[in-house]
Amino acid sequence: MRFFARRLAFYAFAVWVALTLNFLLPRLMPGSPIGGVLQRLSPSQIQANPGIIKTYQALLGGGSGSIWHDYVVYLHRLAHLDFGVSTSNYPSHVSAVIGRVLPYSIFLVGVAFILSFVLGTAIGMVAAWRRGGGFDSVIVPVFMALSAFPAFFTGLVAVYVLGLKLHWFPIQHAYDSGLVPGFNWAFLTSALRHSELPILVIVAAYAGGWVLNMRTVMINTVGEDYVAMAHAKGLRDRRVMTRYAARNAILPPLNGFAAQFAGAVGGLVFIEYVFSYPGAGLTLQQAALGNDYPLTQALLLVFALCVIAANFVMDLLNVLLDPRVRTG
Amino acid sequence: MSQLQPTIELAPATTPAARTRLRIPGWPALLLRNPKSRAGIVLVGFMVIVALIAPLISVSNPTDFNLLAARQAPSWHHLFGTTDQGSDIFSQVVLGARRSLVLGALAGLLATVLATTLGVLAAYSGGVVDEAVNFLTNVFLVIPTIPLLVVISAYLKSRSMGTMIVVLALTLWAFEARILRGQALSLKNRDFVLAAKVAGESTWRIVFGEIMPNMISRIAAAFVLVFYVSLLVDAGLEFLGLGDTTHVSWGMTLYWAQTNSAVLQGEWWPFLFPGLALVITVLGLTLILAGIDEVSNPRLRDEVRRRGFLRSLVLPVRRAA
Repeated sequence: MRFFARRLAFYAFAVWVALTLNFLLPRLMPGSPIGGVLQRLSPSQIQANPGIIKTYQALLGGGSGSIWHDYVVYLHRLAHLDFGVSTSNYPSHVSAVIGRVLPYSIFLVGVAFILSFVLGTAIGMVAAWRRGGGFDSVIVPVFMALSAFPAFFTGLVAVYVLGLKLHWFPIQHAYDSGLVPGFNWAFLTSALRHSELPILVIVAAYAGGWVLNMRTVMINTVGEDYVAMAHAKGLRDRRVMTRYAARNAILPPLNGFAAQFAGAVGGLVFIEYVFSYPGAGLTLQQAALGNDYPLTQALLLVFALCVIAANFVMDLLNVLLDPRVRTG
Repeated sequence: MSQLQPTIELAPATTPAARTRLRIPGWPALLLRNPKSRAGIVLVGFMVIVALIAPLISVSNPTDFNLLAARQAPSWHHLFGTTDQGSDIFSQVVLGARRSLVLGALAGLLATVLATTLGVLAAYSGGVVDEAVNFLTNVFLVIPTIPLLVVISAYLKSRSMGTMIVVLALTLWAFEARILRGQALSLKNRDFVLAAKVAGESTWRIVFGEIMPNMISRIAAAFVLVFYVSLLVDAGLEFLGLGDTTHVSWGMTLYWAQTNSAVLQGEWWPFLFPGLALVITVLGLTLILAGIDEVSNPRLRDEVRRRGFLRSLVLPVRRAA
């Protein structure tokens, strides 16, 4: 319980740092970005929404009030999930834009991340079990080579070869043009088809890490006495591999879960850009390019919260899986 | 098996050094003798040479446009083809090597100085200083780097190389600080450190004179790691359009290829060549890193001997971040 409380306090602090960093970044930069935002707003927009300048001043600085006052206003607005209006998607609110794009990203990174974990650890397990065999010598190097490539380069090559030349996959956007997003068969199948290649590329880029981690740890557990004992008991090979050797090897790679996830979330920006996939990553890139600071600020917060949440889930899992953490 | 390992390791760890006499003393010699880092040094060396002689082999001003020669596939006239504006991609890739190498090296240097100073000082001082640095490091580790860098680049008015070097070093130091702190923690209670303390040496002197020389391989590894991560991230940010459009670099060539939908039009050359240049550089640096690890960790050398060089090449010891 003490462990739990300490971790919770740490994550609360991390969230606070992320919030404050978001607040300070535009103020630390030479020249306040508020001018750029106000330039993009037409006089009619300002007239229609008189509070808009104050919102942006609280978000980005440049107001006449003190920085402490701005900070209080900023926190107050965040508490009400008020990130202001997205200047590049006027008149949509930032929260509406994020609500629209986030499901795509969650689906993409969720499916791809779980797939790369399952596939990567399974390959690492078998490779370590039959160390030096054909599987170990061919499949493992292939995944290592793939993970050494920059993800966006793998993505570009995949678009060119698998999409454009072989026509195996649709290569752009999240669904066929002409469809309206909603819970209907035509949209869902189209969305699924369009997510295949991005997911494949993310798995290719990130499974290698799991393969290597699992293989390295499992090579050690394969030599342990309890594995020899399980063999001696006459258990089937497969059972010894999964229940004895792999089960004890899985914890250290799992501990890299949060770091891997942070990497995958960062890589999402590049993958979505390559595939013009309308998720949070592509939106962040476009907002950054279009000086839509309210949107970039909110998205950074969303990304940070996702990674912090992943870390927290990992801690909980660790308590569940590893009794040593519980007893200290 | 695990109990037997120490006795197996001891022999190969000492014999090669005794058998072959060192001609170049110290680190460079060790790295050149390790097959992985030798391969890495060859690849990176190739890129350095390309960067040095770039003005001699680049055809013309690489941003010159010539609409009559636009979108040409590779030929003898344009080795790597031309962009949609008719610029020569070979010249862009060759000159682009300069930015990536200089930026990576300087960002790596700056981040390593930061990480080493903070990590080692924290470990040695212990107490509140250690707690604070460790806390700061952990907070930095849970804030996703790429989105943070995208947002910072968006705020930056000037995206010059100097600015990017500082920004990258400030965002990437935490990964190394944690590892270096761990290493320093294990060294701080060794006898030679205690002896220095008893002899009345100052903290700075103990940290920089006694502890740091003993973790030089980890520090070198940290430098190489940040070197390639930062050049990769910089090219990535440029690819996203967050670079200086007047610059010539691999990332900018990739950016223009993406902006002009080169891939969708079936043009493979505008993204393949700068992409391969990145891959070669990163691969070279990864191999050097693996070599440093092997030289400083005899257990890994053992693995190479057992499994052959080629297999050990494709099984790098550490994964790219």
